[in-house]
Amino acid sequence: MLLPWEYGVRNLFRRPIRSLLTLAALATVIMLVFLMVGFIRGLEQSLVISGDPDVVLVYSVNSEESLENSAIAARTPELLTSSLSGIVQRFGVTHISPEMYLAARVRTQDGHSGFGLVRGVKQTAPLVRRSVRLLEGQWPGPGEVMAGQLASTKLGTPVESLDIGRTIEMEGQAWRVSGTFAAGGSGYESELWCNLGDLQTAAKRQDLSLVAALLEPGASVAEIQLFCKQRNDLELRAIRETDYYASLQQYYRPVRMLAWVVVTLVAAAGVFAGMNMMYGAVSGRIRELAMLQAIGYRRRAILTSLVQEGVILAAAASLLAGAIALVFINGLAVRFTMGAFVLRVDGVAILIGCAVGLTIGVLGALPPALKALRQPVATALKAV
Amino acid sequence: MPVVELQDVCKSFRKGGEIIQPLRHVDLRIESGEFVSLMGPSGTGKSTLLNLVSGIDQVDSGRIVVDGTEVTTLSRSRLADWRARSIGYIFQTHQLIPVLTAYENVELPTLLLKQSATERHRRVDLALEAVGLADRAAHYPRQLSGGQEQRVGIARAIVSHPRVVVADEPTGSLDTDTSEQIQELLQRLNQELDITMLMVTHDADVAAIASRRLLLDHGKLLETDLNEPGKTAAG
Ligand SMILES: Nc1ncnc2c1ncn2[C@@H]1O[C@H](COP(=O)(O)OP(=O)(O)OP(=O)(O)O)[C@@H](O)[C@H]1O
Ligand SMILES: [Mg+2]
Repeated sequence: MLLPWEYGVRNLFRRPIRSLLTLAALATVIMLVFLMVGFIRGLEQSLVISGDPDVVLVYSVNSEESLENSAIAARTPELLTSSLSGIVQRFGVTHISPEMYLAARVRTQDGHSGFGLVRGVKQTAPLVRRSVRLLEGQWPGPGEVMAGQLASTKLGTPVESLDIGRTIEMEGQAWRVSGTFAAGGSGYESELWCNLGDLQTAAKRQDLSLVAALLEPGASVAEIQLFCKQRNDLELRAIRETDYYASLQQYYRPVRMLAWVVVTLVAAAGVFAGMNMMYGAVSGRIRELAMLQAIGYRRRAILTSLVQEGVILAAAASLLAGAIALVFINGLAVRFTMGAFVLRVDGVAILIGCAVGLTIGVLGALPPALKALRQPVATALKAV
Repeated sequence: MPVVELQDVCKSFRKGGEIIQPLRHVDLRIESGEFVSLMGPSGTGKSTLLNLVSGIDQVDSGRIVVDGTEVTTLSRSRLADWRARSIGYIFQTHQLIPVLTAYENVELPTLLLKQSATERHRRVDLALEAVGLADRAAHYPRQLSGGQEQRVGIARAIVSHPRVVVADEPTGSLDTDTSEQIQELLQRLNQELDITMLMVTHDADVAAIASRRLLLDHGKLLETDLNEPGKTAAG
């Protein structure tokens, strides 16, 4: 039989200041956990969303995994279109998007500057990049760019610096912002898009970085890959876009591992905070715990009650942290090497945060409780 | 059939290098309904004896049977279960839980019994009534006087209707008037509820309310007669 639940709850009010401080400490710890997990989840999510299973990317074999370093011949799209059958064609338009993709220093009108990701595209881009939606303004005309909704975060500049009508400077040229776009949370949202020709002129390049093509349902990437192998003079490689981002996930593994290590360390700090409180709470209650045993409560019941106490506090801290995380952390845009993404406090993040909270409660309460119950009842009854 | 029976009980403690043996081959039989007081100089082992009878300490050798159960053979958790059913424990200082009301404190032991909530509430009400504190049920210990706190402690000891109640200096930290009230109460509970009592005290006046008086000295139990203190019979 267990002790009544109220016993655990009311015990927390015995030393209200101490409980409150511990609550604050635990809430902070759990917030940090939410932050880290939100970061990991956001990163993973942006990579997952960015891949379209029907899109194949064709880029240079020499570029490793980074598209900024890829350079392929400008005639690649025509070669692909004429040699392959699996690419979507509708109303005489081939759904293929030749693109130039580069990282460039961008200076905004108000004097801020940062590294931006710039993509030069043609009118066919939205046919292939199907998640892209214009939020405001227009598709970029000559000398214009449209900004992804996280582009300012990526640049580290104020949001207004990319408002429509503002000018920015990149690749030694001035550009006017023509519109803002969203892309369903994918990586494009941290980019600046302009016309391919303009970007080629500004960058003094004739080549492309990559070609993205939309495949017919059921069409296989293998055909394109075979083409790349046969025409090895072109030095091309083809990969399904989802596979490309999956390999990026691999690339970010150390980052994610590091984040998990931080989560663990932070959680351990929480355990110590909880333990500190519970040692204090239990040490003044040695006689009371002995009395409970004397009137017939088993040690396990008392142990459970003490753990309950820790868990109640930790659960309260989790709730508090969860509420704060949902309001302030969820959707927060952060800058990262390959772009910007938003922190996601989703179901998984909540689950992990609360699990960490409960673990802190249990692990923090166990050692003090076990210590208190190790004493023989007869001796403990005489304790002061 | 005695309710409490000790046969050849020995108990010693190791304290630093020396061994203290408060109980040396002690025998004792307490019949149902008896009110036994236990006196003796400080440090002779009176509390130790109570703790053995109530199963919160273990004998070195010998046998203790309480209410038909041989407590010396039970495991620790079985002992806890057994205590919940068969033993009431009155402490020198009330040992009430400060965050629980008088009612909730008294209710604690009943939560260990398999019975309905109605029955439980009935018993708690009865116990509080028996100690004259029905109107203080909702009070917290800090809102009660020392004597009232001790009475709540007594209510908690009797609420499960145990066959045996042990009390370790139940009046030890109370003033004379309050002590007298408690003595009366214990006597009344013994007589009206037919609870077998084993009470340790340092006070000869308190010991006098018992129907049978024992003295523990040098590890041996002696029966004393109130009129002829010091005159002994084999224990
Ligand atoms: N856990 C223990 N470890 C070592 N010695 C102990 C322990 N418990 C009791 N003793 C010793 O055993 C002896 C008997 O102790 P006990 O508490 O039973 O005495 P008592 O008769 O109740 O004394 P008092 O009247 O002062 O309460 C004492 O000498 C005490 O120091
Ligand atoms: Mg004692």
